[in-house]
Amino acid sequence: MILHGYAGKILWVDLNRMEVREKELDRDLLKLYLGGTGYAARILWDMLEAKIDPLGPENLLIAATGPLTGTLCPSSGSIEFCFKSPLTGIFGEARAGGTFGPKLKFAGYDFIVIGGKSEKPVYLYVGDGYAELRDATHLWRKNVHETTDIILRDLDEPDASVACIGQAGENQVRFASIMVDYDRAAGRCGGGTVMGTKKLKAIAVNGHGAISAAKPDEFFDAALDAINAIKIRATKGMGEHGTLGGLTALNESGALPTRNFKTCYFEEAEKVSGQTLSERYLIKKRSCFGCPIGCGRYIQVSAGKYQTPPHEGAEYETVNMLGVQSMIDDLEAIIKAGYLCNIYGLDTISAGNVIAFAIEAYERGIITDKDTDGIKLRWGDPEVIMTLIEKIVNKEGIGRLLAEGVKSASERLGKGSEEFACHGKGLEIPAHDTRGTAKSLVIQYAIGNPRGACHIEPIWAPMWDFSKVDMGLRKYGLPWPPPSRFEETGVRRGEAYKLLAFFGELAGILGICRFPLLAAEDQNLNLDRLSTLTTTLTGFDLKPQDLLRISERVYNLKRCFNVREGVDRRSDRLPKRVMEPLISGPTKGVKVENLDGMLDEFYDAVGWDRETGIPRKEKLIELGLEDVANEIWKSRSSKQEE
Amino acid sequence: MIKSLVVIPDRCMGCHLCELACSQEHYGVMSIERSRIHVVRLHHQPVDAPIFCLQCGLCIASCPVNAVKRDPKTGAIMVQEERCIGCGNCVHACPYGAASLDPATKKALICDLCGGDPACVKACPVDALKYLDADLAAKYKRINFSRLQTVVR
Repeated sequence: MILHGYAGKILWVDLNRMEVREKELDRDLLKLYLGGTGYAARILWDMLEAKIDPLGPENLLIAATGPLTGTLCPSSGSIEFCFKSPLTGIFGEARAGGTFGPKLKFAGYDFIVIGGKSEKPVYLYVGDGYAELRDATHLWRKNVHETTDIILRDLDEPDASVACIGQAGENQVRFASIMVDYDRAAGRCGGGTVMGTKKLKAIAVNGHGAISAAKPDEFFDAALDAINAIKIRATKGMGEHGTLGGLTALNESGALPTRNFKTCYFEEAEKVSGQTLSERYLIKKRSCFGCPIGCGRYIQVSAGKYQTPPHEGAEYETVNMLGVQSMIDDLEAIIKAGYLCNIYGLDTISAGNVIAFAIEAYERGIITDKDTDGIKLRWGDPEVIMTLIEKIVNKEGIGRLLAEGVKSASERLGKGSEEFACHGKGLEIPAHDTRGTAKSLVIQYAIGNPRGACHIEPIWAPMWDFSKVDMGLRKYGLPWPPPSRFEETGVRRGEAYKLLAFFGELAGILGICRFPLLAAEDQNLNLDRLSTLTTTLTGFDLKPQDLLRISERVYNLKRCFNVREGVDRRSDRLPKRVMEPLISGPTKGVKVENLDGMLDEFYDAVGWDRETGIPRKEKLIELGLEDVANEIWKSRSSKQEE
Repeated sequence: MIKSLVVIPDRCMGCHLCELACSQEHYGVMSIERSRIHVVRLHHQPVDAPIFCLQCGLCIASCPVNAVKRDPKTGAIMVQEERCIGCGNCVHACPYGAASLDPATKKALICDLCGGDPACVKACPVDALKYLDADLAAKYKRINFSRLQTVVR
């Protein structure tokens, strides 16, 4: 029987033995997890022993697509990488757009699972129903763009897609990214680091097959309906000036974090806005596979000190973290810094965060000229950014410390630097703030499920309490109207965040970008549309409630993975910096007052034990995760009985 | 008036939805290789462009078994699949790389304008692909061909 919507196979790669083999997808697991990060989470739960070294050969790197990947469903050009993170020590996932995911499915594989460690540099080639490991000695020490160029030339397949690492991954910087199609980043959690430890320089895929729908005509109609709903956002919304288009509005709302999260207001915001980018540096808009929004910016600084070749870059997170965060108002310098991170394969968010941390530590005398080899780490100085990027990538001088991530760096420095090391569970906080943006981010960053403090996985929760957009979730129980973004407890935050998280989790499971979810229900992929698309594609009966049930299962499984690594309520914390009052701008004085109250409300809503923050045994059994429940609660039940 | 398929290339973002719509319309599957329109992206240059049949008809004479004809209603090239022997002569004859062979059936893939209601146009989210009266379409065609004469410095 054909599995509609899937390629049907998993590619297993053992780098210890240099072996590649195929396995069929497990239908029973598909019914429970559907695909994408859900199916991958189950593989990681089953295959990884607790507490393994993420830098060791026993770690697995999974490239995951979902049923919607590569189809006519809008924004389906998705690839999710899942692994145990060398940055956080918990579940790691990072997504990129581009064409890699679709090409993988067209080649006949839904997933690639890579374990072991090669002795010499290799890359994996995946063609139609075929894969092999190839020597990559000639690619080692090459940057991302060079590597991609060489592979495409050697293959003589200009339509292949390449995911690779740069020097940051080779050098095992803890926040090295996996770069797809030159400039699309699976940035977070150190997926590139895992590739580096395995001596896996790249994965090149090129497939020419097809994906079929169970009900082709109905699926086509549903996809055209969705494309038509979303396409307005190409010109009015994220597509118009890219993700950077919202920067000035965030600033006016006091929601633009700067100066290592001391304030959410930047006087020079206009200089680094999406409008400025469009006027001066935009060559054209570029979309990922299947995307009607097209937030990608093909840009260039054509002359001057910060000249770059044409490339895709300057999205909001990068501009904020590598620029605004360190009070830099020179957009050309920020574009260059982002370009450097892209070619070296360095996560721009973590890099920007740890650089701002270093500047503050220097200001306070915790880092001195001796540590920096005489470089003055000043706010607003682009040369500091350029220099520190190079030092981090090459682990030179102070870069060796910063390459470990902000959590480790602050623990080693001590002297109170932990208080302004802005991370959740070891993942550097991105460019949306707990106080300036919305209190929904307090829960999201503190819970940090699955990957630590992240603004977008599982979802950009402030759609609810900042943007006041229900995304079609009101009829599925999203509390409405939303409270003020600054209110904390007693305003149904727990219930709201539960539904928002489950909704967002679906994007990773189904194998699509999260952006098409983030809009009003007449302009987004809402639950009803997702239900129609997945049902007509796969032939499984997937009502909106069924989809939410699957994502609830996946969300809980990922939490259990993290619990097994030592996460519990005590780790659901935030550093002092993002709790204390903001010092200026429209949100001056806003602080986080009752973290624990908000956590209690969330644990209650989601069925997790208040005392420990662990999913309750009954909840896990109800979700069909009895074996997981037994393992998680095995060591604890005896303690509870005492 | 007869209509023509044209592209307004400044608008194309390279999303590939036209390719999937084409294969879905003709074969009920989503496949960029079974599409009759092909999106080309040049990574180091600002080029995202759908390449498709301009209905010039050079392939008609190239076919050794007379499998390629023109539909008088739409003006589109029609491949009679039962006759096609997959020799590739039409692919060779096409100056634009718009013709190809279906990897599944080994028959020629040439745009038939979906009988006058092109699926690619319906799926294009940025209106880069248009199916316009021939007279208006010609204005866009002129713009596109004028670029071939642009001196790039």
